[in-house]
Amino acid sequence: MSSHGRGSIRKLVARWHARRIFHAYLFIAPVVVLFGIFRVAPSIQTLLYSFYKVELLRGRFTFIGLENFQALLTDEIFRRATMNTLTYVVAIVPISAFLGLVLAVLFNAEFRLKEVFKAIYFAPMVTSTVAAAMVWWWMYNPQFGIFNVLLRLVGIPDQPWLMSSRMALPSVIIFSVWKTLGYNMIIYLAGLQAIPPQFYEAATIDGASAFGRFRRITIPLLAPTTTFILIYNSILAFQVFDQVFVLTGGGPANSTNVVVLDLYRQAFERYNFGYAAAEAMVLFLFIMGITVLQYVYSQRYEVSY
Amino acid sequence: MSRPMLVGLGRLILYVAVGGIAALMILPFYWMVVTAFSPATDIIAFPPKWIPSRLILEHFTAAFAKAPWLMYYWNSAVVAVVSVGCSVLFGLFAGYAFAVYRFPLQNVFFLMILATLMVPVQVTSVALYILLSRIGWVDTYLGILAPNFASAFGVFMLRQGIKSIPVDLIEAARMDGAGEVRIVLTIIGPLVKTTIATVAMLLFLSSWNDFLWPVIVINSANLRTLPVGIALFKDPYGNINYGPLMAATVISTGPMLLAYVISQKYMIRGIALTGLKG
Repeated sequence: MSSHGRGSIRKLVARWHARRIFHAYLFIAPVVVLFGIFRVAPSIQTLLYSFYKVELLRGRFTFIGLENFQALLTDEIFRRATMNTLTYVVAIVPISAFLGLVLAVLFNAEFRLKEVFKAIYFAPMVTSTVAAAMVWWWMYNPQFGIFNVLLRLVGIPDQPWLMSSRMALPSVIIFSVWKTLGYNMIIYLAGLQAIPPQFYEAATIDGASAFGRFRRITIPLLAPTTTFILIYNSILAFQVFDQVFVLTGGGPANSTNVVVLDLYRQAFERYNFGYAAAEAMVLFLFIMGITVLQYVYSQRYEVSY
Repeated sequence: MSRPMLVGLGRLILYVAVGGIAALMILPFYWMVVTAFSPATDIIAFPPKWIPSRLILEHFTAAFAKAPWLMYYWNSAVVAVVSVGCSVLFGLFAGYAFAVYRFPLQNVFFLMILATLMVPVQVTSVALYILLSRIGWVDTYLGILAPNFASAFGVFMLRQGIKSIPVDLIEAARMDGAGEVRIVLTIIGPLVKTTIATVAMLLFLSSWNDFLWPVIVINSANLRTLPVGIALFKDPYGNINYGPLMAATVISTGPMLLAYVISQKYMIRGIALTGLKG
């Protein structure tokens, strides 16, 4: 390189220094490079692999167009897994959000040992899903599990819980409600505490009943919190895996199989990486759909507030 | 009914509701501990033995004989400490850059980082695994760490925190001749230490409890993290013995629950303020 060239590069670097562009790129470099390699590139690669037949051990990648997606359409097990995932999302999200709201309203009052109770409700959230599910697996045991033992005590016949294809998915949902309830309660509680008490005082003076105040003030003012909770819970619910893996392994007869579990099996047990990539794209579309929904709704709130 | 009686009734309903649901919430923890310390005859007793007839440690001996729990702890700790440390350090610098500097493609890079929140490892696992198998990172610590060296949530939170710092403060430090790296480490860092603590706590929690990615990328028994260890402790074909299994869950969750009991107020507040890592 000529000395002239080197000099102008030095000048360029000096100008960068002055504008702190050098530092800006230096400081974001670790995150951008690491995310580029381990997050962004694999996202795009997964999309590409969904059009390929991938034979990793032979190092062979064969372009097969839409064949993976066509196969998905006729795959009974994947259809079952998708339906189960949708059922799971549609059940857990409203139940957990509603119960979270009820609890938050209760906890908005002052009472003794409130912090202790709050900590108890939140404890499942900080516990590893795998370990917690293991305990529930024992509690769901049809013969000696505590649930059937308690039912027996009050004269209700034993339930098959995870053993029956009819009850297994509801049993997984009950576990997940227990696991996520505390989080929704805490978020709703933060939302409730942000509502100015003057609103309630004014409504009380105007003669509104407790229920009327809840319906006309609490619910509308909590709408942004509710949106956040519904979106956040839905996105997580679509990714459900840990508890299914431990509680049922997808059974009996695929009655609790879910998208991520099927993806895991196709990719890492059967090495159908291309096919699993297509499943991952379906999962991504669901998450994307929720995010678009959030965007549309947030636009609406900006108008109404 | 008189008004004080109505208020009293309301209180009673409140306590019954809050207390009753709390009992349901705590039942799995209680039953886990009771089973772990109870003799086998208590475990299958009817009516149930809420308090063990005598406390035994045999289930723990059995659990330790069957799996190297201390090694699982070590693996979980290495992964959590390195990923939290890197995420916080890189996040602090990136957050500073996004909050304080104006540079070309700033928004493009920021959106790229935030967009990764929308594509979880559940979606990218296939290509990530293939990539790691090519560079020989499958079945290594680096493999577990690969998607967790940086955190979009961390960058975002730290940027928000740094944005609330007055620019004059940074300018004054520059006047005093402090370099940018030194400003970030010795001035900005201490000023956003509550944000750092919250981010670190949430990232630690999610790393500690992470299951899907470690179970994908780890094959060797001696590289298992705690969740992988506990999930594979249950032998689906073997003789199911609930005592040692519950002892294993106590071993794997106990210290975390203890940390939670000590710091719950702070942890709950941190999560209420920030939402949670997605």
